[in-house]
Amino acid sequence: MVKQHKILLTFTLFLIVALLLAGCGSSAPAPAETQPEPETKTEEAAPTEEAAPAEEAAPTEEAMPTEEAAPTEEAAAEPDAAASGFTLNERIAEKVANGEPLMLRVSYHDVSNEFAPFIKKGVEQAAGDFDVDVEMVGPVSPDADAQIAELENLVEAGVDGLAISSVSSDALAPIIDRLLAEGIPVVTYNTDNPESNRLAFAGQDLEQSGYEAAKVLADLMNGEGDVIITTLDAAAQWSIDRETGARRGFDEYPDINVLQTVNTGTEPQEIYGSIENAMLANPTVSGILSLECCSVSPAGEYVKRNGLTGDVTVVGFDELPQTLQLIDEGVIAASLSQAPERQSYEAVRLLLDALNGQPVSDVDTGIAIIDQSNLSDYMQGN
Amino acid sequence: MVKDVQMTPTTSPISEKIKNLFLARETGVLVALIVMAIFLSLATPAFLSVRNLLNVGRQVSLLGIMSVGMTYVLISREVDLSVGSIYALVGLITGMLIVMGWGLVPALLIGLLIGAMVGFINGWLSTYGSLPSFITTLGMMSVARGAALLITNGEPVTVNEIQGADPQTLSQFYYLGQGRVFDLIPMQLLFFVIVAILGWILLSKTVFGFKIYAVGGSDKAARVSGIKVYNIKIWAFVIMGFLSGLAGILSIAFLPSGQAGRTGVGLELDVIAATIVGGASLAGGEGTILGTILGVLIIGVLRNGLILMGISAFWQETMIGAVIILAVGVDKWTRSRRGL
Repeated sequence: MVKQHKILLTFTLFLIVALLLAGCGSSAPAPAETQPEPETKTEEAAPTEEAAPAEEAAPTEEAMPTEEAAPTEEAAAEPDAAASGFTLNERIAEKVANGEPLMLRVSYHDVSNEFAPFIKKGVEQAAGDFDVDVEMVGPVSPDADAQIAELENLVEAGVDGLAISSVSSDALAPIIDRLLAEGIPVVTYNTDNPESNRLAFAGQDLEQSGYEAAKVLADLMNGEGDVIITTLDAAAQWSIDRETGARRGFDEYPDINVLQTVNTGTEPQEIYGSIENAMLANPTVSGILSLECCSVSPAGEYVKRNGLTGDVTVVGFDELPQTLQLIDEGVIAASLSQAPERQSYEAVRLLLDALNGQPVSDVDTGIAIIDQSNLSDYMQGN
Repeated sequence: MVKDVQMTPTTSPISEKIKNLFLARETGVLVALIVMAIFLSLATPAFLSVRNLLNVGRQVSLLGIMSVGMTYVLISREVDLSVGSIYALVGLITGMLIVMGWGLVPALLIGLLIGAMVGFINGWLSTYGSLPSFITTLGMMSVARGAALLITNGEPVTVNEIQGADPQTLSQFYYLGQGRVFDLIPMQLLFFVIVAILGWILLSKTVFGFKIYAVGGSDKAARVSGIKVYNIKIWAFVIMGFLSGLAGILSIAFLPSGQAGRTGVGLELDVIAATIVGGASLAGGEGTILGTILGVLIIGVLRNGLILMGISAFWQETMIGAVIILAVGVDKWTRSRRGL
């Protein structure tokens, strides 16, 4: 009897937890709605296939130097050679010919990271604009094996086209080639797999973005001073690419010294602690370059809390709400956006083009510099 | 077996006390910490500055708060792998409640209650549910992480006025994580000290603490002695859940932006490592709060020192792992030599 009573009590407690969680869940959209949504610019700018790239390109081109534009044009002028050798499998070709609804999936390498909501918005925008069954899928952690397993399951479920972003460059090249050999069109976005025969890539030139970020920081520092570079994962290919570009950029300024690359780890407290230690170890630092979304706001917080605003210039990447707020407060000088929602949007468009037999080529989603002068564009909705 | 250090008679002669002191696990960890501190102070002058020492104190605080809870769980011969996920879930929910306009006290109470309840579920399933705690908490690690992702829709939770938080509540909330007592001592460190003192009193000076050791030493013997083994273990998990929640709240109060996919990921391993280095055993029945504090400090000082010395990030990971193996290995070896 006592045992039954305990079981009942426990079950009730479990229900309370579940209800609490459900209650919070139902109210979850509240903060989401009030968060900055710079991507609304993209959404507004993308009512039609033509309008999306054209209007989005405007600020990008402004922000990009001529070096940035060159590879894009080159890529656009020369359609991917692999694309011409690709043949749709009979099942998919038949569906296209009969005008049957197509099932497309956009596989993202970690649907739990900060970037995923932006990618998802681009996918949802494309689903509406192109009236196609397309969803974002992917593992809940950067797990390449889980992603591959899911892709294999999607093939069994009859997927008609895949856009893939992998956790690191070329991590999924073998399966991409296998899918293409089966006649399933595959494009990549965000993180490329250039060693594969993917039909096209939609995303940013990572090395170039690192180069641009370094130049922005160096110019803000008037070309002199000591710099540390922060990154969540110094061994990841995206980080290596951006750091390579950044160091190339700093090399153009003889009076800029890069003292250290700080591998902050991914946990927020760990990130802040690493920056705190590195700043204490290098008291002459007057510039911090963060190579991604997530060590930039802790760097800004450190600068703000230690009264270093104005003495230490911070430049980073992406448009997370906290980053935008610190730009607004004048703590972070600039952040480079890579238009993530446009990457997934363009990936879906490329897939549809490939399915309809049109030639496809790489799309450079460009680099836009966010600072106080254009911050309001990115803080719309607040 | 009940932990011998805890049960040392107070009437032993001075030589016996000195012998016990040298045999105590904490002494070895303390010596290791002192050697590390001396080496680092020679290698880098910044190490011994007040500012850096306070930095280290703050940096280890959240790990320390959770490690106090893990000490209870490990002594009771269980393990909790879900602490990083509870940390994220509670921190993010509390942050969202503040953003939604809740007052500080209700938001904190709900957050801490959720942490304790998840701990209770872990404990119940691992005892009355007859499931190994490794499996229960491995599952809960995913459940709590998934719940955090669902509630936040995968988007970052930013706790500030722009998002809708009440300015007065916000300043109080920020003070919990970012404030400094006497303009010097970080609030996080103060919380750690308070939790450590309370944790030490509960474990070393109360009947409940004695029962935890008894349960971990031999649950059969404890049961025969009339101890409600399952209830004691459940309490250990509740304490763990509560403290994970507290650490999660302090985390988002310190850095007012968190994301369910990143916050607290991998923290469970750091917490277990620090507790084990401090002398707790996965086999149960062993461990002290003092040892855990020293274990936490070893991990914290090592991370801090390696960065101060400008050692490559990849070497840092390797060296921290090696120190964990070395610390536990040396202890096992010396204990076997001493016939313990």
